[in-house]
Amino acid sequence: MRHTGTIAARDLRALFLSPVAYVVLTLWSVIAGTFFLASLIGFQDRQIQYQQFQMLQQIQSMNLNDDLIEPFIGSMWVIVLFLLPAVTMGLVSSEKANGTEELLLTSPLSIWEIVLGKFLAGMGFVTVMTAIVAFFPAILFVYGEPEVGKTLTGLLSLLLVSMTYVAVGIFASSVTRNQLIAFILTFVLLLILGMMLPFIVDLSMAGSGLGTDSAIAQIVRWMATGTHVERMLQGLVDTADLAYFVIATAAFLLLSKTVIESARWR
Amino acid sequence: MTEMKTAEAGKGGSGSTIPAIAVQGLGKRYGDHEAVRGLSFEIGPGEVVGFLGPNGAGKTTTMRMLTGFIAPTDGMVRIAGFDIFSDALEARRSIGYLPETPPLYPEMTPESYLDFVSKIKDVPRAKRAAAVERALERCGLLEVRRREIRQLSKGFRQRVGLAQAIVHDPKVLVLDEPTVGLDPIQIREIRAVIRDLAATGRQTVILSTHILAEVEAICQRVILINRGRKVLDQSLSELTSGGASLEEAFARVMTRDEAEEAA
Repeated sequence: MRHTGTIAARDLRALFLSPVAYVVLTLWSVIAGTFFLASLIGFQDRQIQYQQFQMLQQIQSMNLNDDLIEPFIGSMWVIVLFLLPAVTMGLVSSEKANGTEELLLTSPLSIWEIVLGKFLAGMGFVTVMTAIVAFFPAILFVYGEPEVGKTLTGLLSLLLVSMTYVAVGIFASSVTRNQLIAFILTFVLLLILGMMLPFIVDLSMAGSGLGTDSAIAQIVRWMATGTHVERMLQGLVDTADLAYFVIATAAFLLLSKTVIESARWR
Repeated sequence: MTEMKTAEAGKGGSGSTIPAIAVQGLGKRYGDHEAVRGLSFEIGPGEVVGFLGPNGAGKTTTMRMLTGFIAPTDGMVRIAGFDIFSDALEARRSIGYLPETPPLYPEMTPESYLDFVSKIKDVPRAKRAAAVERALERCGLLEVRRREIRQLSKGFRQRVGLAQAIVHDPKVLVLDEPTVGLDPIQIREIRAVIRDLAATGRQTVILSTHILAEVEAICQRVILINRGRKVLDQSLSELTSGGASLEEAFARVMTRDEAEEAA
């Protein structure tokens, strides 16, 4: 596994030598800033409303975690879905387009070293993205007293979603030599995995005789990332949710490894 | 298996009789099409061999199988005694490979690129800087070492590709059409680099081409394939001994092969 770091370092540097990384990080920062401001204003408005109507109980139950940080991070993970495909699209497809796939596959490397190297590079990038988001709740600690644990759980959920999506992106990037196709495929996969699965279940199950609470419906709902992020955002760290992210990531990395290896047998 | 153990034991020893490249019954089928069939040959240490054939004869497919990039459907390949699949890592460490299109990262500089390649080719850390320096120098890349590869001319890119193949000082060099698409001056420069490598006497080289002059300029031995089969395997001096030009010799062999195929 000693080549994993070499591959990761090269890919991360290549990312930051291309304009894509900066476009993505700029958009990400601007969106994060806007959403944070919106959440902050919403928080204040509600506080003023409650005060006007003398709703003391509601004022007392309001807190920075549930009413500001959670909705903020809850909207940011959806943005990952739109921006991350641009970051991961070239990770494997560009190796095919450059012909460097031939260099990697004839070097004394294992396919796992290649896949994990690319995964680490992607993780490096999403760590930067998560750090940018972390900056905003950090401001709140100057003026108020949010719960540290709950805030960190929220950020962890963002990092875990991003981790899973990096693996999906690597897989989509490994099936084609065309970056645009990789981008679209990643986006579609993330859209299905991230948001559409619960709707698909509800629609199809309600139509069939199975009902929305059948075993299949529950399994499909378990497969949706949203289900697990939302639980973590409420501050619940459940092994079942952590396991979901690890299993999904491992599954897509294994698929990528298989696809890359299949080049030998064509 | 015992053969392979001796191969490992003999590694580094002088005058070892293990062929640098051993190919037996190599074949590759794509559906119904047989790109390569029943190809066998051995190349001894220090030999420089021209791998010739018309376009579509199976040269690139063969080279990709020699380097382990694609798996053969039949037969086996051994590099310096190591099987390209069961002993993949050792075998791959012994090969330097320049594919048909040089495998370059456009955003890197020749220097950083060669440093990367030296790492994935397992050049020990202490020797890395010197290895990169030597490859840059041998391929005449010192003046462009810090330029982005995307800005380099085709000739320089080809040289970076060649530098990549030699940076880890491999026992065996596999070069797929190293001079294709270059201008006459660039061709002469690339050939000079290959000749210098060959002159060390330690370097085994197999290079594919369809330019006969290239073979005459660099190689001692010729393997000719047509439609995926070997039709000729002879030393250059034997081939041209009767005073015949290489061109005539090939024309003769090819016509005979076509006639046999038709029969």
